[in-house]
Amino acid sequence: MKVTVLQENLAHGLSIVSRAVSPRSTLPVLANVLMATDEGRLRLSATNLELGITCWIGAKIEEDGSTTVPARTFTDLVSTLSDREVGMSLNVRTQTLNVRCGASNTDLKCIDAQEFPPMPAVDTSDGLQIKVSELKEMIQQVVFAASTDDARPILTGVLMTVKGGKVTLAAADGFRLSVRKADLASTSGHSISAVIPARALSELARIASDGEQLVTMVMPRGRGQVVFRTKDVELVSQLIDGTFPDYEQIIPTKFKTRAVLSTSAFLKACRQAEIFAREGSHIARINILATGELQPGSVEISGQSEETGSNQNIVEATIEGPNILIAFNVRFLREVLDVIRTPNVALETSTDTAPGMLRPVGAQVADGEFLHVIMPMHLGS
Amino acid sequence: MPIRILSPEIASQIAAGEVVERPASVVKELLENSLDAEATFVSIKIEGAGQRLIEVTDNGSGISETELPIAVERHATSKLSTSQDLFHITTLGFRGEALASIGSVARLTITSRPLDADVGTRLKVDAGHSSPIEPVGAPVGTQVRVEDLFYNVPARLKFLKHETTERRLIDNLVTRYALAYPQVRFHLFQENKPALQTSGNGDRREILAALFGVEQARQMLDVLAQDDWMHVTGFISPTSLTRSHRRDITFFVNGRPVQDAALAAALLKGYHTLLMVGRYPIAVLFLQMPPELVDVNVHPAKAEVRFREPERIFTGLQGAIRRALLAYTPVPGLQAQLRWAPENPPAPTSRQIDPAWNLDQVSARKGWQVEMQPELDRQPTDELPGGAAHALAGQPSFPDTRVPILRLVGQVANAYLVAEGPDGLYLIDQHAAHERVLFERFMSQLPEVLPSQSLLQPATVDLPPANARLLTDQLPFLARLGFQVETFGPHTFLVRAVPNLLAGSDPAAALRVLVEDFEEDETPLQAEREARLVARVCKRAAVKAGHALSPDEQRALLSDLEACQSPRTCPHGRPTMIHLSVDLLERQFGRRGAR
Ligand SMILES: Nc1ncnc2c1ncn2[C@@H]1O[C@H](COP(=O)(O)OP(=O)(O)O)[C@@H](O)[C@H]1O
Ligand SMILES: [Mg+2]
Repeated sequence: MKVTVLQENLAHGLSIVSRAVSPRSTLPVLANVLMATDEGRLRLSATNLELGITCWIGAKIEEDGSTTVPARTFTDLVSTLSDREVGMSLNVRTQTLNVRCGASNTDLKCIDAQEFPPMPAVDTSDGLQIKVSELKEMIQQVVFAASTDDARPILTGVLMTVKGGKVTLAAADGFRLSVRKADLASTSGHSISAVIPARALSELARIASDGEQLVTMVMPRGRGQVVFRTKDVELVSQLIDGTFPDYEQIIPTKFKTRAVLSTSAFLKACRQAEIFAREGSHIARINILATGELQPGSVEISGQSEETGSNQNIVEATIEGPNILIAFNVRFLREVLDVIRTPNVALETSTDTAPGMLRPVGAQVADGEFLHVIMPMHLGS
Repeated sequence: MPIRILSPEIASQIAAGEVVERPASVVKELLENSLDAEATFVSIKIEGAGQRLIEVTDNGSGISETELPIAVERHATSKLSTSQDLFHITTLGFRGEALASIGSVARLTITSRPLDADVGTRLKVDAGHSSPIEPVGAPVGTQVRVEDLFYNVPARLKFLKHETTERRLIDNLVTRYALAYPQVRFHLFQENKPALQTSGNGDRREILAALFGVEQARQMLDVLAQDDWMHVTGFISPTSLTRSHRRDITFFVNGRPVQDAALAAALLKGYHTLLMVGRYPIAVLFLQMPPELVDVNVHPAKAEVRFREPERIFTGLQGAIRRALLAYTPVPGLQAQLRWAPENPPAPTSRQIDPAWNLDQVSARKGWQVEMQPELDRQPTDELPGGAAHALAGQPSFPDTRVPILRLVGQVANAYLVAEGPDGLYLIDQHAAHERVLFERFMSQLPEVLPSQSLLQPATVDLPPANARLLTDQLPFLARLGFQVETFGPHTFLVRAVPNLLAGSDPAAALRVLVEDFEEDETPLQAEREARLVARVCKRAAVKAGHALSPDEQRALLSDLEACQSPRTCPHGRPTMIHLSVDLLERQFGRRGAR
């Protein structure tokens, strides 16, 4: 293998794939990045066997070939190279990669590409397409609600359902549920229902940078994998086996009290309350008060703990229905408010023991596009 | 068989059986007589594991020629005259039964000379038949020889254990009395070999070594607590020194060894959460209280007592134990001989008290012992001094129980925090430390109902019948913890909400571990069960090893731990930290010669 690449492209490519490197694996080769020439480009791949990331960068190829380079060492080296062009040539027999850049000359011990887990090519011609920016937003609006407890693997995933030109992502950790729907860029006859690790989706949101691009998704038959592909990047993830809880039945269909208030004011109030609730039990008390006929109502958000003190914020709100005092885990509130993009948000509740629902409010959001259900907390005595 | 009145011989043998069960009980009665006679030296000879010969010689007050024949009569005592006296007993004996009982089941020879007599007197009793007294030359004091014990009661003989067991029982008994009476010189010979010799100089620790070996005796912690009506002294083992049984827990109440389950329970409560499940401390504790607070006339062998104000006594004892423990529970240090080779990993269970770490404590302890000295000179039967120096509550002289302020260095292996203290390096187990923090936080909040987090969908849990029963019993308490659980079938439960702390983990699994292998009989006290349930919740909620903590989280954990009452162990008794003193480091790096 003999190639020349631009230093910034190489650095960028390495930063993308490095998230899938597993430095502490028992398989030494998994701490390496596969580098292979691929139809006029250089392909960089890393995998931890659950998640694989591939990135293609432009290259001048004099001689085809492949090897695996130690990710950490190579990334450190590349980030300090100062000339534009980086020339690399592999001594196949010794698996030594010579890296030249300006006055710098490095010989790097590599591991034969044969040892790297095969990353089979997938046919993406039949895939579903969605805009990168849209998919990123969808992911951000649900992944945080997935569980981090490996005891219930299914809840560490995000349920993706595709039906009739619509894609839905849903995540739930047993206490809250986040559901986001969107239209597909291309309609497809398939119906899909698969649980994708939340971690893989977070990675996807991080590496898919160009918002205007389309991302293609395929689930190759019988492989138990999902593949996301943009022009330069491919992410392959194992799917999670199992049945995702039937979340539709959890979503409340009615409410008694509805408060519409400023998303940013609500978020700020939650952030403050959290500072005080942190030590204790993460409880935020939400007091929804409809004042008079023509006056605006208010939502009082408060947090307190024995050690730090207490904090209240009153946010003006439009209230429908009776007054209610309800408690939520303040972190849950903050995390959902963080991903609601509309200036206003609606909080719908019925009783202090019934689920609360948050949804974005605004002309630009389609009905049911995003909703978030949070179970209340019971205050002690 | 027709009903008959028992012959006096059989009747006395039956009565004797209550007092004299085995050789050790004879030794006990004779020893108590010597101590009641204010002997300062008691010599005991045992042959044939006590069956052939038990001989107790003292330098006490002696028995006069005229009283000697009466002493061996049933219900003959010089220690009580009115029934009123029964409620104010200051002697070990009072029933007047021992000598008579022994005389009815053995060949008994008593030789005695009071100080004011010129010659001694000898009396022989053989299986209940006394011979006339005869004058003999004898030193001041009393010698009681018991030969061929139970020779006329073969049924008893059969129940005796193996000789080594009987011998060990005698050893233990005499040693414990020696501990209770450190001013009395004790000599014990078993089969002509010295088994115990105490100096009578008042040093209890010396005697402790005879009981538990030098190494363990050195580790035992002093207990000293006192208020207007009770005085507790003695020794308890540190949390690192435990047994799998309760046999090494001994109580003396007003100089009398007693078996009392409630006292033992109070002791264990003092150790609560500091010991691993199934482990018991070693303890030799001496409780002194005004005689009218204890009823000693409960048991023929006087092995049981009844307290007039049990609650006060138990809480007082528990508090005394707890404070002594907290004061002395050191952070386990690494033994200097440990090498840093990977095949020889530092065992966290090795708990040599590191000299550097203990500098403070050692000096505190010295002061402590100086203070203790006058107490030692006091006879166990002394009246309680009024206006006691220390109240049971609040012991100003206890050294600080907390850990010093620690500076975080970082996290290793996603499992341990490394921190620096004024006296070296600390390795902190993040899981154990977090368990402790959560446990104390929980327990302090517990009087109130704790907040809980509802589930999106109730979780169904099936349990084995025994666990289901336990869970049903504990539902009200679990509700206070924040579990909202409903019974759904005979052994099926619906979890609707979990403690906020457990939000994030599987609710069904959380409920299951709570009651798994929870043996009901093991902890009969509801308060203890509750604490165990809480400990289990905390274990589950605590951050696991393998979990990377941000520097902020690491710092928070450290300062939370510093604020704990018992920061050095997790609620299950495992250490939360290991200390590597500067001294140890210096020695390990060869900067200072081995001492
Ligand atoms: N070693 C001894 N020294 C002096 N007096 C003794 C000794 N042993 C027994 N006696 C006397 O004999 C009496 C009877 O002893 P015992 O049968 O053990 O009954 P108790 O000890 O309950 O009084 C005692 O009350 C005491 O006066
Ligand atoms: Mg007696």
